[in-house]
Amino acid sequence: MKFLDSHVHMVSRTTDDYQRMASAGVAAIIEPSFWQGQPRTHVGTFQDYFNSLIGFERFRASQFGIRHYCTIGLNPKEANNERLADEVMEILPLYICKEGVVGIGEIGFDDQSAAEEKYLRLQAQMALEADLPIQIHTPHRDKKTGTTRTMDVLEDVGVPPSKVVIDHNNEETVKEVLGRGYWAAFTIYPHTKLGNERMIEIMREFGGERIIIDSAADWGISDALAVPKTAALMKEAGVTLDAIETVSYRNPLKAYGQSGQLKEADWAETEGIDPTDLFEGNTLLRGGQDIGKAMSGEDLVIS
Amino acid sequence: MLALLLSILSNHAEEKPLGWLDHHLEKIENDFSRNRFYFAFSGACRHFDKEHALDLSESDLDSISGMAPGFTIDNRTADHVARTILLLALAEKDQDFFLEVLRALLGAADIREAVVLYSSLPLFPHPEELVSLAREGTRTNVVDIFDAIALDNPFPAAHFENDGWNQMVLKALFMGRPLYRIQGIDTRANGTLATALANYAHERWAAGRPVSPELWRPCAGFVDETIATDIARVAATEAPGQKEAAALVYAHPSNAEKLAEIKESVEPFLKEIENGNLTWDTLGNSLEKDG
Repeated sequence: MKFLDSHVHMVSRTTDDYQRMASAGVAAIIEPSFWQGQPRTHVGTFQDYFNSLIGFERFRASQFGIRHYCTIGLNPKEANNERLADEVMEILPLYICKEGVVGIGEIGFDDQSAAEEKYLRLQAQMALEADLPIQIHTPHRDKKTGTTRTMDVLEDVGVPPSKVVIDHNNEETVKEVLGRGYWAAFTIYPHTKLGNERMIEIMREFGGERIIIDSAADWGISDALAVPKTAALMKEAGVTLDAIETVSYRNPLKAYGQSGQLKEADWAETEGIDPTDLFEGNTLLRGGQDIGKAMSGEDLVIS
Repeated sequence: MLALLLSILSNHAEEKPLGWLDHHLEKIENDFSRNRFYFAFSGACRHFDKEHALDLSESDLDSISGMAPGFTIDNRTADHVARTILLLALAEKDQDFFLEVLRALLGAADIREAVVLYSSLPLFPHPEELVSLAREGTRTNVVDIFDAIALDNPFPAAHFENDGWNQMVLKALFMGRPLYRIQGIDTRANGTLATALANYAHERWAAGRPVSPELWRPCAGFVDETIATDIARVAATEAPGQKEAAALVYAHPSNAEKLAEIKESVEPFLKEIENGNLTWDTLGNSLEKDG
């Protein structure tokens, strides 16, 4: 089985993660533009960050047989620095139509300030103009209100829900997001977001249609193997392989494939890597084999 | 050149992407918007084939080099040519504005975009303004980007000062690139470069590493005592192309006397050189193919 982790910040991860992801069957990844912990003070650092997403990080992933795509955007937290935000908005058009850019993201609300709404709106218009999918970050604080407000803004701009992935959902938001026709992504992230046992309960209630799981692994305590681990846990819990593949591979492929920049053939033709090429004596199994076995020895539960 | 490339591209692309390109060319001329131009330049890969080299006729290639000597789109893809056409349309704008947009594109370019930008340099007006951009490009370690400037491109020979030229040739050797594809490799040879190349060869020998036979090409017109000793060593080296290279240096009009002592060892190749079967280009080509 192959996985597509549609939300992972690889610039913050080590080659160990790349090796383990490749070994666990992660064939392709999408890296959204986001804040980097330390607030940026110059547009140049944004530009270099975008350059690394379309350049060096893509190259780094390819060394491990993983196809790397990205979404480009001004994140909501840094949208509050309006002088800088305006400068970032000016350089976005240089990037969003590039090869391997599968959408505008991650954008949305953090504090739910007026400035955040302004730049969400502007970027939604840009996505509409460039005919690109949108990857939405929903706020951690006052999530339910912020999620509803995000969808209101998108609909006001005229973005079709089928081109939008709303991320970081939980039990409280999923119903409305799916009901309004959006893709609903769930981030399996320890402590602050969603644990994977809860995810299985959500799958039981809502099935797999328009649902996506991702890791959002970044510079915090997070898990780059969240998608394969959750898949393995789902299998143990009796979820069908078809449903597992739908949420961890086919749905993100379909949602972001609307960009025309992401297709299965991109990684079907490349054989990927043999883990033994990377480190001698390693016995980790690759994807394509039984996911339960591939993850044996790992603690599957993320809570 | 814009019209010529457009007519060639229209024989090799579908109606839909060509319509898309026409639309953008019209907008560039009559209703320019910077963002729309960025979308078009980066987005060309979403409309035109980016995987297969165009299958061009000799006459297409000839008319291109007739109009811009040394410039070629041989082995380029449709999206590469479409991007080149967009840049040519942009180049018709005011010079300062053109340069400003060009810098913005370079500052945000991915590898394939950078290749288009650098390989199109010989087509743009006011080349003196572009030299620093080209030199910056040669500082890359990405082979495709370096090649776009250094190989099959008339720009460096026409516009680099000796220091930039010499650094580029040395770097081409460091990166294992074929020197015979550097346009002007003979006409731009100079004594400083010959000395630097010989020093580089000495370093390689000291480290027990092989030296490319092509290294001696720009040295052929600058044989002094040191280089004469080096060429004698090359003539006695058993590796592909080494003796041929020594023979080619020997055959340079100024060298028969200086290199008299290696005459015997290079003798078997002199006839091939005389009848044109062995040249620096044939040698470079066969090394590239076997390398």
